[in-house]
Amino acid sequence: MKRLLFAIGIAIPALLQAASAVGFRVADAKGAPVADAVVSLTPLDGPARLEPPTAPVEIMQRGQEFSPYVTPLVAGTRVSFPNRDTVQHHVYSLSKPKKFELPLYAGEAKEAIVFDQPGIVALGCNIHDWMSAYVVVLATPWFAQTGADGRAAITGIPPGRYRAEAWHPRLGKVESRELDVSGPPAASVDFTLALKPDRRLRRVHSAVPGGYK
Amino acid sequence: MAFSPFRFRRFSTRLLALVLGLLFATLAVTYLLVSHANLSNALAHSEANLRVGARIYDDAIRRQIAYLTRTAGLMTGDYAIRQVLQAEHPDIRTLSSALQSYTQRVGAPVIAFFDTEGQLLANSDAEMENENVGPFRYLIDRASKADQPEDSGISYLNGKLHVLVVVPLYAPYPNIAGWFGLAFPIDHAFAQKIKDTTGIEVTFASRRGVQATTLSAPDSGIVSQLVARGPGQAGGQVSIVELSDDRYVTLFKPEDLLGEDPVTVVLERPLKAELAAAHELEQRLLYISLVALAVATLLALGLARGVSDPVRRLAGHTKLIAGGDYVTRLQLDRADELGHLADSINAMSTGLAERDQVRDLLDKNVSPEVAAQLMRDGATLGGEEREVTILFADLRGFTTLSERLAPPELLALLNRYLDRMSAEIERHGGVIDKFIGDAIMALFGAPVAQGDSAGRALAAARGMEAALAGLNAELAAEGRPPLAIGVGINTARVVAGNIGSHRRLNYSVIGDGVNVAARLQALTRTPEYRTNIITSAATLAAAGPGAFATRPLGAVNVKGRVGAVEIHAVE
Repeated sequence: MKRLLFAIGIAIPALLQAASAVGFRVADAKGAPVADAVVSLTPLDGPARLEPPTAPVEIMQRGQEFSPYVTPLVAGTRVSFPNRDTVQHHVYSLSKPKKFELPLYAGEAKEAIVFDQPGIVALGCNIHDWMSAYVVVLATPWFAQTGADGRAAITGIPPGRYRAEAWHPRLGKVESRELDVSGPPAASVDFTLALKPDRRLRRVHSAVPGGYK
Repeated sequence: MAFSPFRFRRFSTRLLALVLGLLFATLAVTYLLVSHANLSNALAHSEANLRVGARIYDDAIRRQIAYLTRTAGLMTGDYAIRQVLQAEHPDIRTLSSALQSYTQRVGAPVIAFFDTEGQLLANSDAEMENENVGPFRYLIDRASKADQPEDSGISYLNGKLHVLVVVPLYAPYPNIAGWFGLAFPIDHAFAQKIKDTTGIEVTFASRRGVQATTLSAPDSGIVSQLVARGPGQAGGQVSIVELSDDRYVTLFKPEDLLGEDPVTVVLERPLKAELAAAHELEQRLLYISLVALAVATLLALGLARGVSDPVRRLAGHTKLIAGGDYVTRLQLDRADELGHLADSINAMSTGLAERDQVRDLLDKNVSPEVAAQLMRDGATLGGEEREVTILFADLRGFTTLSERLAPPELLALLNRYLDRMSAEIERHGGVIDKFIGDAIMALFGAPVAQGDSAGRALAAARGMEAALAGLNAELAAEGRPPLAIGVGINTARVVAGNIGSHRRLNYSVIGDGVNVAARLQALTRTPEYRTNIITSAATLAAAGPGAFATRPLGAVNVKGRVGAVEIHAVE
């Protein structure tokens, strides 16, 4: 109760001071916009209050691929893995924040998985090597994902000091910098990411002849 | 001599042709030998290369089989596939999609899964059905019967040439729960890979046509036709095949297929590539040959000039000698044969000059004819009997004249007279035998036999009369008294030859007829005859009747001769 009051005590001034927005622009070394990058603002003045959604977030398997490819969420969020394919899948993760497997199944998975530790979780399918997806577990409610134009916006941010971070599957380690959010006008953060080459396996759809490549 | 292309007007041309001909022949033979050796060498080298290429191909196939076998072994132990198969009714689509994932993992484009009976359960290739996986089933059957852990071979899969491997799925070892079949195509990329390693053109051809090739379509068509012609081309023999751009050294290597007609692996190397180094050598040889020919030409020309120039000078010099110049000497300054020749010619000039001198002296002392006979036959004592007309001429009253004139004047006058008379005699082919003081003895028909010697003698006598008339006119102009002559001519058989001692010889004639001629000359002094020229009937007979106007003077007795001689005056 005391903690709750404390939390309200922080939240109320923030609300009073009017929430701000931060725009992000993420590009690679060549200046091309980067999609599927996850940007987040982690408060430095004190831990943010996390409210995981009550309904599970869905990462489905369709066309022998995961969808979506990158899923950012706050720690504690439940994720369901429905199989919308005609073939079975065997979803697994060997990543430290969440190790799990959903043995070979078709249709709805038996259980939803709770991602309670912040960090990057890489998902795979034991049957299909080319299937790959990422769950970005965050310790802050202020995050967003860039679109095809490399832009994303986070709104409703209380003023304060934040660590702005950007992550992408082709980025070795998280990019971060400090940011003061002090109300309108909206702040803007540009990230230039040194992306590694795309090494994703791609599914070869039909068995084409030609062994040597 | 008949026309021959090898007759040369100039020595230098002949020498040049000889040197260049020999050199060219040598170089041409060398070039051909080198070229031939290069070709055989290239063929042998190509064959060795192709055999290595064939081994590399075999090795590539073996490695491919080993790789597929090993990776299939790993696959059979994969957890996920066991999960799929664990289901009571394994989901075929999931199995197929898993196999598809494996194709990427393994790099084998075809992976199929068969049950223990050899029935196709799942396949990475949707097009592949139970009917066209025969080679896999053949291998599974063979491996099962032989109780082998795996089997492999080459055959057609979906009509295309593949290397095939079957590996059992153990659950657990040695219980077989199914078979994996992996296939790897023998396609253009595979052929190209062999070519990249070996530099050899590779074609896989069978009765069905070209399966894979690194050659162009027309070239592989040629090769395919050769293969289709039958097994004669097989047997690992090397032959030369003419393709569109070059001749190729070609090795036909038969490869057995599983239950099919064999395919032939055709390995080829362009001869041009093999000959490239040799070609460079030949090119150099050609340049060296050309330079050698050029140098030989210059040397031969120089040598020929060194010979022909002095020869030309020698020829020019001999012309001088022929023209009578025995004084000029040829200076060649050479120590070789030509130098010796020049020395010899100079010596010859000296000899000729000496001989000329001798001849000159001889001419002055004897008549030219006698001199010629002496030069020809040599001065030998000997004789022959022949018919000769003898002419004696005498200056009348010379004794009184000699008393009136001083000796030099007398000799000058005598010589002047003798000169004119001699000229007339020689003009008519007579030979002065000797001068006896103011008298002249001349021969017609000796030493050289002449036709009509009698007629010539008579004509000479008349000519002498005329010449004396001319001389007398000159003498009259000089205020001197005229001269008169008497001429006696007789024709008789006499002995002619060189008369004298070994040290001194005279060509002359002896005999009765000579005395008669002298006697006839003496008779001209007889005033009743009123003639300067008296001849015998024998001479007139020899000259032929009517040739000269004559007047018979009757017969006279000649001293020392039996019988009279009929004499005539020549008018």
